[in-house]
Amino acid sequence: MRGERSVSERTVRRLQWLWLVVAFGLIGGIITWIAHLIRTAWRLGDVPSASIGISIVSIPIFLTMLGVILYVFVGLRGDRGER
Amino acid sequence: MALWGMVIDLDRCTGCQACVMACKAENNVPPVGAKEAVRGRIISWMQVLTEEDEEHPGEVKRFVPRPCLQCDDPPCTKVCPVYATYRNPEGIVAQIYARCIGCRFCMAACPYNAKYFNWYRYQKEAPGQNPDVSVRPKGVVEKCTFCHHRLQKARERALAERREVAPGEYVPACAEACPARAIIFGDLSDPGSEVHRLARSPRAFRLLEALGTKPKVIYLSEGEGRG
Amino acid sequence: MADPADTRDAALLAPIERTGRGFYWTVGLLSLLILWGAIAYWTQFDEGLGVTGLHQPVSWGFYITNFVFFIGISHAGTLISAILRLSKAEWRRPITRMAEVITVMVLFIGAGQILVDLGRPDRMLNIIRYGRYQSPLLWDATSISAYLTASLTYLYIPMIPDIAILRDRVGKRKLFYSVLALGWTGTERQQRVLNRAIAILAVLVIPIAVSVHTVVSFVFSMTLQPMWHSTIFGPYFVVGAIFSGIAALIVAMIAFRKAYGLESYLKPIHFRYLGQLLLVMSLLWFYFTFAEYLTGYYGSEPEEMKVFWSKFTGPFWPFFWGMVLTNFFIPILCLMRLGRRTIGKVLIASLSVTVGMWLERFIIVVPTLSNPRLPFGEGLYFPTWVEWGELAGSFALFALFYVLFTKVFPVISIWEIREGREVGLKEVEERLLTYLPDAAEPDVVGKRTEVVK
Repeated sequence: MRGERSVSERTVRRLQWLWLVVAFGLIGGIITWIAHLIRTAWRLGDVPSASIGISIVSIPIFLTMLGVILYVFVGLRGDRGER
Repeated sequence: MALWGMVIDLDRCTGCQACVMACKAENNVPPVGAKEAVRGRIISWMQVLTEEDEEHPGEVKRFVPRPCLQCDDPPCTKVCPVYATYRNPEGIVAQIYARCIGCRFCMAACPYNAKYFNWYRYQKEAPGQNPDVSVRPKGVVEKCTFCHHRLQKARERALAERREVAPGEYVPACAEACPARAIIFGDLSDPGSEVHRLARSPRAFRLLEALGTKPKVIYLSEGEGRG
Repeated sequence: MADPADTRDAALLAPIERTGRGFYWTVGLLSLLILWGAIAYWTQFDEGLGVTGLHQPVSWGFYITNFVFFIGISHAGTLISAILRLSKAEWRRPITRMAEVITVMVLFIGAGQILVDLGRPDRMLNIIRYGRYQSPLLWDATSISAYLTASLTYLYIPMIPDIAILRDRVGKRKLFYSVLALGWTGTERQQRVLNRAIAILAVLVIPIAVSVHTVVSFVFSMTLQPMWHSTIFGPYFVVGAIFSGIAALIVAMIAFRKAYGLESYLKPIHFRYLGQLLLVMSLLWFYFTFAEYLTGYYGSEPEEMKVFWSKFTGPFWPFFWGMVLTNFFIPILCLMRLGRRTIGKVLIASLSVTVGMWLERFIIVVPTLSNPRLPFGEGLYFPTWVEWGELAGSFALFALFYVLFTKVFPVISIWEIREGREVGLKEVEERLLTYLPDAAEPDVVGKRTEVVK
């Protein structure tokens, strides 16, 4: 019985990590994309101020969301051992 | 660096539309067919607008040939999301068909309605077309380019013959075709050119000048209705 | 807190545990509409945008109208969920989940409208590879990405305790719920983490939501076209979005209340409060509309007046006055007195506003394009079966996403209802006491009356 429980528990934990990686990947991807657009605008000299202005606002927002997701992930799962 | 511009003398224009036909032939502009024309989808890079007389409705007061005005502060390039339209260093607003995603934002932004859209695949490559101008696929925006391919050809010829491009060697199809010589083309930044002189004529005005688009097609007209 | 033995809220788990015939009928009908939309879009993808009614000068029509409309509806979630949470309004408890789901689902549909509108959808990656931040469309892309991420997070995190209940109570999908529940057991520490995360997100999501519809309005107001180039557009669109969002939320609530028998959770008082909010938004919307048109009319700029009269008495008059009727007069009449037959009145008002706000988007987009500054002929716009199919398919797809969601997750937040029962009453009482003046000590009072005597 115990062996069965730990196997499915391990699967659950692995899938939860995968879940976190996916979330980081998506949000990290968006942040990378915004940085890519800044770089392109800079190289082409095409109103780089617009890109920089927007990224100054949007990148911290995405980072905050990433932070909240990480906080919830660690905060909830970290408590399981103390049940 | 040249600054290509055009002067159109409305007191000479007879509304014959030779400029329209020459432009369509030169630039492989597709005939969209009668059904599509009724639905409002004619593509006409050079279009002759008719201004009605307010006091005598139905009577045409003036013909206004309207190519792309090649603005120096183009509202269309600002809103393009993908660099498919941009103002090149010589002042021509370029249109890159291979990049265009067909969002039609530039069409919505142009106050002169100078941009046209390929609502269907209106033509394939076929013999009889001008080989210097690419045939546009479906779903992209196109517009007058001041026959930029003619500029490229003139430059290449001059390079091959180891000389400069002579003034008057590069002329768009509409200017070349006008029987009344109402369309004059040249380098606005060259103080000796005819367009430079005519742009300062007391008859000169720009369409919708108050919007601040700084168009490089300047109109000459004796009467009222300037801008 | 998530006690599996508590069976009071069995009605909320019933749709997940059992599926009735009504579900299959609904899915069948929605699938037919989606099929119509799919065929319409396939025709367009194959032949080109020529199959629509668009032309020069009206090169934007239904699809852009739908885009603005659906993104507008997404503001339902933020208002109800975030603002009511932050203002500690207890009546929000059965509503928050439904509102948050609307936001997430409708954002997909709204963003999809832009992709449908592209002449070259095969090149849509160009926006990612070669995007220009000077273009309002890129502001849209960024802002909607931010909103989608934030609202997905804001839907998921408050749902974790409910997923834990599902993990423990419901037989099927155990692995799925276990993974998503992140090991929730309802300990105090976990509760604190959750509450803090929700509070941060609630504050974060409000400015993101405001920015979304503001940048959508900038697509129009950043051009130089008559009656588009207006500074009021930002706030106007946000107000309209919240307005249409509340209406859509009410319609969804009434639909699921009937379908899943949730009468004891969604009571007339909830609809009364939402109806009052809807009334306020209707007045606010009217104020903005009035200011916008009065300014145009008073200035009498000829090119603006062409568009103005085109809406007031010209070819667009049925849509314009229909909009005023459905956005202002009908809601005011229905919502003025919400004493009796609350739910019926609120339903009529909401359906009316949903139609009216779509008309409002249409009235903004098309008449301006139809009346260019230069002397072209006036361009009339007649949408084809492709555009109607796309509209029907979009609504149906949104509804289908929503219905499928309710089969997997509870449509009312179970733990928040329980929290309301167990903790809410005490919290509210304590809070109320802090608002009232502090009770004075008895002997001080005695001394004072002695002096006065």
